[in-house]
Amino acid sequence: MGEYLLAVLILAVIGVFLGCIIGIAAKLFKVQTDPRIELVTELLPGVNCGGCGMAGCADFARSIVTGENPPNKCPVCSQEAVSAIAKALGIEVGDTVKKVAVVLCGGDKNQEKVENLYNGVSDCVSASLIAGGPKSCAYGCLGMGSCARACPFGAIEMLNGLAVVHNHLCVGCGKCVEVCPRNLIKLVPTETKVHVYCSSPEKAPAKRKVCNVACIGCRKCVKAAKEGQFAVKGFKVEVNYDSDNLPSEEVIAAAACPTGCLLTTQTHYEIEKNAGVEK
Amino acid sequence: MSETSHYLQITIGAVLVYNFVLARFLGICPFLGVSKRLDTAAGMSGAVIFVMTLASLITSTVYNYLLKKPITLFGHTTNLDFLQIVLFIVVIASLVQLVEIMLQKLSSPLYRALGIYLPLITTNCAVMGVATLSAKSNYSVLDSTIFGFFSGLGFALALILFSSIRERLELSQVPGPFQGMSIALITAGILAMAFLGFSGLC
Amino acid sequence: MSSDISYKTVSFKGGVHPAKDGKSLSGDRPIKTAPLLEKYQVIVHQNIGAPPKLLVAVGDKVKKGQLLAEADGFVSVPLHAPTSGEVSAICDIPGPMGVPVQAVEIKSDGEDTWTELLSPLDWRNAEPQELKDRIHDAGIVGMGGAAFPAHVKLSPPPDKKIDYLILNGAECEPYLTADHRLMLEEPDKVLEGAAILGRSLGVSNVFVGIETNKEDAIAVLLKKASAYNVGIVGLKVQYPQGAEKQLIYAVTKRKVPAGGLPMDVGCVVQNVGTAAAVTDAVKAGIPLIERVTTVTGEPVKEPANWRFRLGTPIIKAIELAGGVASEPGKAILGGPMMGFAQKSFDVTIMKNTSGILLLDAKDVFQYESNPCIRCGKCINACAMNLSPGPLGAMIESEKFDLAARAGVMDCIECGSCAYICPARIPLVQHFRRAKAEIRRMTQNQKK
Repeated sequence: MGEYLLAVLILAVIGVFLGCIIGIAAKLFKVQTDPRIELVTELLPGVNCGGCGMAGCADFARSIVTGENPPNKCPVCSQEAVSAIAKALGIEVGDTVKKVAVVLCGGDKNQEKVENLYNGVSDCVSASLIAGGPKSCAYGCLGMGSCARACPFGAIEMLNGLAVVHNHLCVGCGKCVEVCPRNLIKLVPTETKVHVYCSSPEKAPAKRKVCNVACIGCRKCVKAAKEGQFAVKGFKVEVNYDSDNLPSEEVIAAAACPTGCLLTTQTHYEIEKNAGVEK
Repeated sequence: MSETSHYLQITIGAVLVYNFVLARFLGICPFLGVSKRLDTAAGMSGAVIFVMTLASLITSTVYNYLLKKPITLFGHTTNLDFLQIVLFIVVIASLVQLVEIMLQKLSSPLYRALGIYLPLITTNCAVMGVATLSAKSNYSVLDSTIFGFFSGLGFALALILFSSIRERLELSQVPGPFQGMSIALITAGILAMAFLGFSGLC
Repeated sequence: MSSDISYKTVSFKGGVHPAKDGKSLSGDRPIKTAPLLEKYQVIVHQNIGAPPKLLVAVGDKVKKGQLLAEADGFVSVPLHAPTSGEVSAICDIPGPMGVPVQAVEIKSDGEDTWTELLSPLDWRNAEPQELKDRIHDAGIVGMGGAAFPAHVKLSPPPDKKIDYLILNGAECEPYLTADHRLMLEEPDKVLEGAAILGRSLGVSNVFVGIETNKEDAIAVLLKKASAYNVGIVGLKVQYPQGAEKQLIYAVTKRKVPAGGLPMDVGCVVQNVGTAAAVTDAVKAGIPLIERVTTVTGEPVKEPANWRFRLGTPIIKAIELAGGVASEPGKAILGGPMMGFAQKSFDVTIMKNTSGILLLDAKDVFQYESNPCIRCGKCINACAMNLSPGPLGAMIESEKFDLAARAGVMDCIECGSCAYICPARIPLVQHFRRAKAEIRRMTQNQKK
């Protein structure tokens, strides 16, 4: 019996002794760290995507606390998380618009001509360095999936030679925007329902020659929509993503786009998905 | 056995023949966890050597002067040997904790290099193993400190070899089912087989 | 050839010997001058560096040699009209890199009247700066392929002392013979240009490096070289002997440091075509509006060298060479090793178009690349002492930081590794991608 008591006693004494040493050491060697950094790190999503431009979420948290970056610079954070961070730090943030990526090209395998034989690395950047890529349209999606590989969230799917973004997976970090050699990918507000799926600035006849679904700049959609919802840029029309009233889905029926490049995100996805199945 | 051959046996045994990772299969968790890049592996190796040396020194002191011989307390004479594992855990854990706290204050570059690995080692079986093994082999304090240092060195050798191989592996086209951890485990197995060649050295 | 000619033969480490030389197709025929065309589409941005500023508008009348665009900044050169006529359009045409580029379309009036030319200079007594200004005003760029403004190379910063001027007559690319014919037919122009360039740099060591498969050109130049105080160096026939850094090593045994420029080792390299253009510009005041280009390849009926004006569409150039006898599989601007495959025949001749090469459809075949067998041939072939195979593996698994550390930025894209690779790994394509990605990453970091 005494042995058990002794063991407990010895362990207790040693435990208390070591505990005291650590306690004293912690007091003696105390290093000032800002507790807010830890707090903010916990509130951030913690996926370390680097979309904010910092080395990771912890690094970004430090930059928020020091005031280098506003909390809404995180593209992944929900509005609630941003306001929670702002509240914790006692700072004001403006409204953040949640953004998703969209690949503004409809020229899949069925629609766009591929005149040139390409026999090289299956990567958009590589392909674009050889005579500008195999596609006849110098502005269309090359379809080799550099953006899909760059996406840390697996939100981009290659369908029928075209990159298509899944909105529910996309967090708008912008990795794909950087990677695309054709600069086709845009970050747009999540609420945007309708896009003009064409990025070619060429004149209409030149575009029609190489692609069936190019925007020919007929402006039917501009007329059908409300003032300021579309913007004409050169020979193509673009949705005015900065405006407060984004075009609604009714525009598509009203405009009756002759080439069919004015689509909702959903129909665009379905078209590409089914086109792939038929093949 | 002469003095020199005794130490040679300890060192070569710890580094090569009874390598902690590849022959005793202790400390596999950090071995697989931080071997993805050579620079983190080097940092981890440094931390392991540091902690193993220090832990052997302290635990062998505790063992040799507290646990080995029966002691008389309050009229009872008992052998405290059975407290070995519990005591070692407590001592090592608080040691690592103490070192971490002190490093953070005294040498911040060293803390940044080793700091993130220190908590990983606290409950590492390799460190625990070094303490129990030297207790089992009846090493003196000096012996077990040397044993601890060279065991750490052996761990570092295995870790750095393995991480170099893994860096090369990343550039190879690995068949789908073997990608990631599976090919790493296969590699570790082959590496362990290679170290089997040292058996019989001492 | 005659045994009395004397030159030393030098080389560099690495390189390959392309199996098909193809030089005999066009090398024996004299340079022909292309007739005046109805219209020319002159690409505006023909030089490395800032694009020149356009001075003409649609409807303007221009004379031959008149300024179309003026230099915009130091690393930029002016552009001149190839013939007299009217500016009929300023439009986008297919560029040599596959991206549309801006071009000035000039409808020829058939008279081909010269504008008032700059006054001729007596170069032996002219100030070096005067010569440099003239080279700039004549719109001269490196005509070997890079199109780097010539006057920039001639104006090194004061802390870099230049003691070697090397004229590149190696023409190591298979099929191309433009420089060969130029040296053979106009040796005085080339040598005088070398002497002018040497004077503008204040350099007395002027050498012309020529691969020894052009013995006739070497013989001709050797006869005349002493009059201009120019040395002739024979170069071993080995690709890429004509690459700047390899040429410098072969001639001077100096190594350009990684990421450095030839001027870091006191050297300036210019193409022989550039030298000939310099002679024209200095002695006659003629701006750079035409160049010798090889039109060659097995499908071409009459492969030859032609003196084309800038803005000649390559389809016209091929027509002049008799059209095609068999179906071409690939059209390349430049040589087969480093040239750029084209997807349009509307691309026009630029200041750096050294050749138009058509490859036979049966020579162009599709293949798949296989895994690396670690034979190490690429490492032996690399002229820059890199390890192409491992580099390619790094890039394939998108480890661009590793590739940058392993020196991918020093790759000169000569194509020796990809040529020699038995597994047919498209190594150069990998390297070009890595360079593009690394440049993008460093740019992002600066931001």
